Amino acid sequence: MEESPLHPFELHNYFPINLGGLDISINKAVLIMWVVVALVAVLMVRAGSARKLVPGKLQILAEMLVDFIRGIILDTMGEGGMKFFPLIATLFLFILFCNLIGLIPGSYTVTSQIVVTAVFATVVYGLSLVMGFVLHGVKFLGILVPPGTPGWLLPLMVPIELISQLARPISLAVRLFANMTAGHVILGVLFGLAISGGLVIGWLPFAFTIAMNGLEVGIAFIQAYIFTVLTCVYLGDAFHLHGHDEHAH
Amino acid sequence: MPPPQDQFYAGLGQAVRIGTELLASLIVGGGLGWVIDAYLLGSTPWGLVVGLILGVAAGVRNAYRAAQRWQNSSDKPGQR
Repeated sequence: MEESPLHPFELHNYFPINLGGLDISINKAVLIMWVVVALVAVLMVRAGSARKLVPGKLQILAEMLVDFIRGIILDTMGEGGMKFFPLIATLFLFILFCNLIGLIPGSYTVTSQIVVTAVFATVVYGLSLVMGFVLHGVKFLGILVPPGTPGWLLPLMVPIELISQLARPISLAVRLFANMTAGHVILGVLFGLAISGGLVIGWLPFAFTIAMNGLEVGIAFIQAYIFTVLTCVYLGDAFHLHGHDEHAH
Repeated sequence: MPPPQDQFYAGLGQAVRIGTELLASLIVGGGLGWVIDAYLLGSTPWGLVVGLILGVAAGVRNAYRAAQRWQNSSDKPGQR
């Protein structure tokens, strides 16, 4: 009866599909992602279709979310960052709803798969690199030289900056994945204790699973928020290139 | 839903962020050093040692930069 706390992270194919050696089978994670996309789309479209002066509940929720994301962008990138609003809002809402849906018992946390978070991080970081080179050309390599570095320090500073740049996508991917996985492992362990403890002592870990679930709701928000803020920061770095301070924001 | 642009949540975000940043820099630095050791120069263990030291420095540099950015953004309360 002992179940591994990692058991909930296993994925089994529902419909095996093989397209020219490429495994695109439908599993639980894929289904949940579809559900999340549908949920976000329906929520935002329905909330946006009314456009009343005195908003209803749904419209208030959507306006809060949009205003929240807009605030993040203005804080980190300034007015010029608003052209990335669709990308950043999509990322934030998708990650937030994935995290939250994963907390419903029996569903699946898509963001606990490092593949998913790594793809997000790669896309974000790749976009910041492409944008940097398109906007600034070769001068974008100057991002490896912090402003005000004396020449004799360059052989030391360039490798350090290179490592700190390479660490960006990795920390972006690992942070979200690790937080989600760790939280659900703790939930799994506590729930296993509750079951094996029976009625005599099992109520204690069970009470902790409820408390942990509440904490996880907070973590779901904070992790989605951090991912979004860092996306904005990385895009903003490529956008401004050392000009962060003189640029009004 | 945290209230938009609440100072507390923004600070919490910064605090949670820096730990992983240190670790990721260390992994990247050590990894690069190890790859240089094992596949490029055969200079075991010096690449790993130098890589790890540079990784620590990069992590601290990241934390320092995050603190700087935090200071900049909290200097301008009127524009938040």
